[in-house]
Amino acid sequence: MTTETTAPSTPRRRRFFSKSDKITLGFFIGVPTFLHVALVWFPALATMYLSFTYWTGIDISKIQWAGLANYENIFFNTPIFWDAMRVNTVWLLWFFFIATPLGILLAYQIDREIRGHKFYQSAYYLPVVLSLAVTGIIWNFLLRPDGFVNGLLGLPTSQAISFFGDDRYNIWVIMIMASWRHIGYIMLLYLAGLKAVDAALREAATIDGATEWQTFRKVVFPAMRPVNIIVLVITIIESLRAFDMVYIIYGSSGGLPILGVLVFNNIAGEGASMKGAAYAVILFLLTIVPIIAYLRQQFREDVK
Amino acid sequence: MLNNISNREMDRRLILKGAAAGGLGIAGATMLAGCAPGDAASAGPVAFGARTVDENPTKQLQALVAAYTAKTGNEVTYNATESNAFQNNLSQYLQGTPDDCFQWMAGFRMQFFAAQGLLVDVSDVWSEIGSQYNESYKIASTGLDGKQYFVPQSWYPWGLHFRKSMMAEVGLNPDDIYNWDDFMGALEELKAKGLIGFIGVDKGGWEAMGTFDILNARINGYQFHVDLLAGREKWTDDRVKEVFRHWEMLLPYMNTNVLDLEWDGGRDMLLARQGGFFMMGSWFGADFKSVSDADYEDLWVIPFPEINPDHARDTIDAPIDGFCVAANGANNAGGKDLIKFAGDMEGVQAMLDTGVPMTSANNGQDTSTYDAFQTQQLAVMNEAKYITQFLDRDTRPDFAGPVVGPALQGWFKDPSSTNAMLESLQSQWDALPPLA
Repeated sequence: MTTETTAPSTPRRRRFFSKSDKITLGFFIGVPTFLHVALVWFPALATMYLSFTYWTGIDISKIQWAGLANYENIFFNTPIFWDAMRVNTVWLLWFFFIATPLGILLAYQIDREIRGHKFYQSAYYLPVVLSLAVTGIIWNFLLRPDGFVNGLLGLPTSQAISFFGDDRYNIWVIMIMASWRHIGYIMLLYLAGLKAVDAALREAATIDGATEWQTFRKVVFPAMRPVNIIVLVITIIESLRAFDMVYIIYGSSGGLPILGVLVFNNIAGEGASMKGAAYAVILFLLTIVPIIAYLRQQFREDVK
Repeated sequence: MLNNISNREMDRRLILKGAAAGGLGIAGATMLAGCAPGDAASAGPVAFGARTVDENPTKQLQALVAAYTAKTGNEVTYNATESNAFQNNLSQYLQGTPDDCFQWMAGFRMQFFAAQGLLVDVSDVWSEIGSQYNESYKIASTGLDGKQYFVPQSWYPWGLHFRKSMMAEVGLNPDDIYNWDDFMGALEELKAKGLIGFIGVDKGGWEAMGTFDILNARINGYQFHVDLLAGREKWTDDRVKEVFRHWEMLLPYMNTNVLDLEWDGGRDMLLARQGGFFMMGSWFGADFKSVSDADYEDLWVIPFPEINPDHARDTIDAPIDGFCVAANGANNAGGKDLIKFAGDMEGVQAMLDTGVPMTSANNGQDTSTYDAFQTQQLAVMNEAKYITQFLDRDTRPDFAGPVVGPALQGWFKDPSSTNAMLESLQSQWDALPPLA
């Protein structure tokens, strides 16, 4: 009940912003935030909501709540979903155990400045400059039934090897196509990281009599942790969100089912249903959950 | 496939962004639909949306548009989109700011959009030009509410295509091929000559649907086929298994790279004389003519052979292409005026005058002016009592493309999986959301 005011507290703020500062800051923060929310968060949340509804994409008043029906449909009634999961898993494992390590190996070699490393560096990086769509076109031209390779083998269309149609080859063909680009990408990222590693560390290891492999494993690799995290995250994202190359070659048909194409296939066109939205949410969770889990664990270790 | 990637490139930075943007596109388009203008009174300038960028059909449509402008003085904007991209975009297109009239297909695919209120009722156009069409075309142009929403342009039959000279070389007379046994015999002879008997293509996921349609209609009849596609019969029915049992008999005569070839790959195999019979729609005759007149004259079509004498050869897939008026277009009256002209013999004649072969739906196209191949198409058509559109035009769009397409592709990979595939098809049909 006291009307007595307390002594004026010392101002906590260390910085004062003038009016024009505030306007500028508001502008610089506000506009990107607005765009980000409007173009990323709103559609993302809308997609999540729509995945629990029935809707053909026409007339917003016709959205019907469907509960988990779309997800039930996908998990229990859609065999192509599991085919796509299989392909995406193979993709992830291939990238994790083969493509990414190869990229790291190349980066290491080039970093050691082997003869002609400048040439190799450009040559390996070149495919990264091309969009995946262009990669798809190039390889399609090489491997389709009336393409270059079947031509070299002298096979007419009727007997051509079915590189994209036959399950014995298609997934590996796509893996090689995707790796062609992925390896160069990882190589460049890693190379940048390697350049930043203190040469003294390596020197010390050499003086201590460590072999090349031991130096890499025990000294260089741990020193590269920030880059390793980025490489791992990129490997997961790249292999799960794959879309363009497969779409270029197969269109939206189920020739080689992957999750990215299923999203598109079910949300575009006359056959639009919110099953496509549900696929998008599944894909999102598959990508984000392992990454968050990994990063949390890493940060916890850092705190210790 | 290469043409339609440019306008749907996915964003590369965020995993969900691509999908989310799709969601925004749909939502945004829907909001726009609310504030689209109604209809203008005068005929004025008209925008026309073509769902093809191929050379031959483009020639026809541009001749049509030019003739319309010459007659009425109304300017027409011609917008062409590659057909897959056009189909994938149609919902958003019609809810946004579409062209006043556009090229589309009859049957279920038209009825679906008509029921959503996205097409303009063109019954009055039909009362003016309807006398130029047979009743069956009017039925195919009619929506579920009994009004017309479509004006037909042309039709083509699905049948067995082959080169007359090739059959002569292997000593076959195609006129002798009436039933399944004749057909198997012919395939055997082609195989003995080291040729592919039956050209198989299904990379696009829709090509093999034509073979399914005709096998089912031949074995089980028109009524069963229609009922199956409408969900009144079950995919797990033994009669459907019979279809795949027959299809399996064709496999030894087919190329093994079915899933690596799109429809044009099959066309090229026929052009290059690598395969005998090609089950496809006759539209590609125009492509043969573009190569050379000799190739076009060599091309022939016969109905798929009889399998069950009860049904003889009484059914055919003969899809009808034509035009619709978009309800959200700026100029509904103009759109109607243009498609009335397109449906009228005058417009049809303008398309025929391009020299690109076309079998028009209009009675006014004198069948005596047909070339030999067109006359044969008509004969193939006339033998049938029942006309179906095509699997992906006769059943729900969310079933045909995303479900049946991949199922048939999977069957080609493992033909012994028939039972499992059919069970899965049925359970996927049962799991479809209710139609709004």
